[in-house]
Amino acid sequence: MAMRDLVTGGAACAVPGSSSSSNPLGALANALIGSSSQKERLQEIPTSSLNPSGNNLYPGVVDPMSALPGSELEHPLHQQNKGSEFLNGFHAANDNRLAEVWDGIQNPQVPHFPPGQPQLQPELNGPPQRVLSSFLHSFVNSSHGGVPFGPTQLPVLGLSEGDKRCIRDRSSIMARHIFADRSEDFINGQVNALLSSLEIDNQGMARGPMPGRYPELEQYWGESQAMPPRPHGPDGWADEFSQQRLGQADPNAWALSFERQHGAGGWASEFEHEQRQMTSVDRMAGTNIPSLAAMEQTRMLAHTLAQNNNPKFQNSKFLQFVSKMSRGELTIEDNQVKPASGDWANEFQQQYNAGPSNWADQFAHEQVSTAPDRWADDFANERVHHGPVDEQWVNEFSKLEVNDWADEFGRQVGEGILGDDTADNWASAYDEYVNEQTVLKQKSDSSRGVYVFSDLNPYVGHPEPLKEGQELFRKGLLSEAVLALEAEVLKNPDNAEGWRLLGVAHAENDDDQQAIASMMRAHEADPTNLEVLLALGVSHTNELEQQAALKYLYSWLRNHPVYGKIAPPELSDSLYYADVARTFNEAAQMSPEDADVHIVLGVLYNLSREYDRAIESFQTALKLKPRDYSLWNKLGATQANSVQSADAIYAYQHALDLKPNYVRAWANMGISYANQGMYEDSIRYYVRALAMNPKADNAWQYLRISLSCASREDMMAACDSRNLDVLQKEFPL
Amino acid sequence: MPAFKTPFNGYAVKFSPFYEQRLAVATAQNFGILGNGRLHVIDLSPAGPISEIAAFDTADGVYDVSWSESHDSLLIAAIADGSVKLYDLNLPPTSNPVRSLAEHTRETHSVDYNAVRRDSFISSSWDDTVKLWTIDRPTSVRTFKEHAYCVYSAAWNPRHADVFASASGDCTARIWDVREPGSTMILPAHEFEILSCDWNKYDDAVIATSSVDKSVKVWDVRNYRVPVAVLNGHGYAVRKVKFSPHRGSVIVSCSYDMTVCMWDYMVEDSLIGRYDHHTEFAVGVDMSVLVEGLLASTGWDELVYVWQHGTDPKAP
Repeated sequence: MAMRDLVTGGAACAVPGSSSSSNPLGALANALIGSSSQKERLQEIPTSSLNPSGNNLYPGVVDPMSALPGSELEHPLHQQNKGSEFLNGFHAANDNRLAEVWDGIQNPQVPHFPPGQPQLQPELNGPPQRVLSSFLHSFVNSSHGGVPFGPTQLPVLGLSEGDKRCIRDRSSIMARHIFADRSEDFINGQVNALLSSLEIDNQGMARGPMPGRYPELEQYWGESQAMPPRPHGPDGWADEFSQQRLGQADPNAWALSFERQHGAGGWASEFEHEQRQMTSVDRMAGTNIPSLAAMEQTRMLAHTLAQNNNPKFQNSKFLQFVSKMSRGELTIEDNQVKPASGDWANEFQQQYNAGPSNWADQFAHEQVSTAPDRWADDFANERVHHGPVDEQWVNEFSKLEVNDWADEFGRQVGEGILGDDTADNWASAYDEYVNEQTVLKQKSDSSRGVYVFSDLNPYVGHPEPLKEGQELFRKGLLSEAVLALEAEVLKNPDNAEGWRLLGVAHAENDDDQQAIASMMRAHEADPTNLEVLLALGVSHTNELEQQAALKYLYSWLRNHPVYGKIAPPELSDSLYYADVARTFNEAAQMSPEDADVHIVLGVLYNLSREYDRAIESFQTALKLKPRDYSLWNKLGATQANSVQSADAIYAYQHALDLKPNYVRAWANMGISYANQGMYEDSIRYYVRALAMNPKADNAWQYLRISLSCASREDMMAACDSRNLDVLQKEFPL
Repeated sequence: MPAFKTPFNGYAVKFSPFYEQRLAVATAQNFGILGNGRLHVIDLSPAGPISEIAAFDTADGVYDVSWSESHDSLLIAAIADGSVKLYDLNLPPTSNPVRSLAEHTRETHSVDYNAVRRDSFISSSWDDTVKLWTIDRPTSVRTFKEHAYCVYSAAWNPRHADVFASASGDCTARIWDVREPGSTMILPAHEFEILSCDWNKYDDAVIATSSVDKSVKVWDVRNYRVPVAVLNGHGYAVRKVKFSPHRGSVIVSCSYDMTVCMWDYMVEDSLIGRYDHHTEFAVGVDMSVLVEGLLASTGWDELVYVWQHGTDPKAP
């Protein structure tokens, strides 16, 4: 193999940096221009001098895991995945190795080669074209078996921007194919190592693929494409699409959401949005995964591949590259895996009143690691004060001269296509309602935080109710966990962690009222707890209480050990959205691998209704924490809010795959289906959610509406009497 | 038969539908990451080495090639710079490429010529789109934009002139009818990127997809919830899958595990052949329509092998 010869045959000891002494430009020009005239792309060679800017490639190590309290709880909840293994690998990162590598870089005279190994180094001396060629070959042909690779300070290769882009994009796409079963972080690490050696800027990294699909999604796809494929005609939903296009791209998202609620036509515009959004969202540039992560991951890959005894792989140069990269091209920053933030999505959901999906709820019912659900609690509590939660918002609607909201809804649907003015009526009616609610909210502040304990709690008197509660939570027995945690906070009313976890459990169980109450108590118990602050910020965002939200979110920033310094204290008193957003963006740039910052940014963007950016931020966070089920729910809810219910379902499905008993996600699924006019489906999801937690009041409401829309008045009585047996029999999933 | 050595890394190999001894090979420098490309047209000889009858250099890697079904000298090449180029063997090299269609905004990853209509072909690209072209028009006829990530492969249905399938990195395969604006069907076939798809030549509703998850799955589009078969056996991502033109249930696949495997998905133990001749990723594979059992494969080890199923590819 010609190239192999080039690489193996007599390649000089790679003394990185040595070739920098010679001016590569002349050689480059000769080599390139003098060679085949058809090599058009390489002809333009900008002149530059070798810049041994190794320092830039070796940022310091940041350990994010210790940053947030409560994060330790996240690990047991996450299914074992390679990502966390890698992270564990990071934390166990051998500092000595890093020192070795660093020395290797600084003292290029001493490359470390294990004895007896063939030296498969890229040809570093020679015309840049050949250097590049052999370097790329070594990238592809690296072997796992302990082939040494000194730090790669390549001479200037004169790559044009276009060249660099090609290398960057293509190598990352190819790396994804080759390292399929590694985590996304690992793959990014690999590519980063390559790119950094070539001094290619990683910022605008090639977009990654969409997250992997899960089997359950097939079911949903199947259901969404109800009819068998006809060679000529589109599927059922496509028919709907063409028939019921309303397509008003009402800039007022509220009106849009209403439109969706009330007419099947709405989803057509969703579909359009989905089409556009799907592409644009996924074109978002990937996060800049620090190189330390890359190196660690490379090391682990190399180690793993070394286990493969196939001699062909032993000799494969591609795998050699892997181990070469692992040996110290770059130090790599730890890849942050921060818990997702709180359930402000939940709040949002409530805000829309069975409109957009319940990701707000999800937000409130933040998973353990994430911030508490105070704001969700607040929100729920606000509703609580109106009286019996069940009927309250319905009654509110009555004030808007809609006798029975559900009936009205049903009528609207029964009429089929919704006219424009009808949508407007709903929009204005909704706006009125919101205004009223705002007034009511202000009155209700004092009544927030009233937590209602359960009767006959078997865990009272348990020796260690907190541990028990955590265990039950991990197992997914939410209602039981709630009882145990209640026992804990009865015993220790100042246990912030107990309250926080209680809030999370309630939120996941789709019980907003209790969730918010718990979070408020947690905040009282520990005003500096970052997760509590985050959740409170989120919940207030959902309620569109901008000032309160900004207060909590800013407080999060100030109390954060890393970002505290970039949050000037004077800002706390007069918070402007722009300032807070800017500060958070700074934080994001400070540590782009910090998922929490991205989550908060997503929250903030939802506050300002910049849904595209919110989706972007969440997806960034999801890249860092792909297994955070509640983050998936947030993404889904944002998508639903921005008229992409089909996308939202996809995201909810992810959440459910990660946590099958995620009541909130089930309910959100139902809402998304309802938004698309698929009421029969939505009913099933609501029933499923309610079967898991019969106390999810809002889900009962949604169920009622969907029953009405689907003209199942026969089941209304069962719904009103909360007869789950009958409903489950009638609407299995 | 002896192997053919290419100067660059092999990407795709296709048998000519007109001449049983002729193949086209798409290659790209530096594994297609950066550099030029070359399209080879080679002829096998019954006793003797493989000879190259034409070679076309390109500014960027050639990722795929497809023979025209209407003209025996026409080739379509998918170029990494996003263009689709038409080459005519009957014209001198200076007149080639006959046409360069540059509409894709990202790398063009595959081309497939319509064997039924014979006047059109589709190209799939990393810009998430599939484009329909006819050989007489300078611009694309249709653009199909639904996938959310790179479309790695698009293949025409062997029986229905207007139906094709696409495989994408968004983990779905989609079936399209060119007369419809949107896809007819979405198959969430794998949980990882789908790198290739191909239709069964004897059952027009059966399609195979191969994926980064190392498996090949066979689907009946009439019942797309459950695969007809899941073929496991590759150790790394399966780069290309192809149905046999002679036996309805036989599939050949090549993978980054450097092997070419042959499967019969109707049989209990599906793996009926495994060829381990490449020393780098096996990236392209094809089965001859004119000679039953004749296989060709190419890989990043810069070699093209042509052999009869059941024999050793490396045997001279």
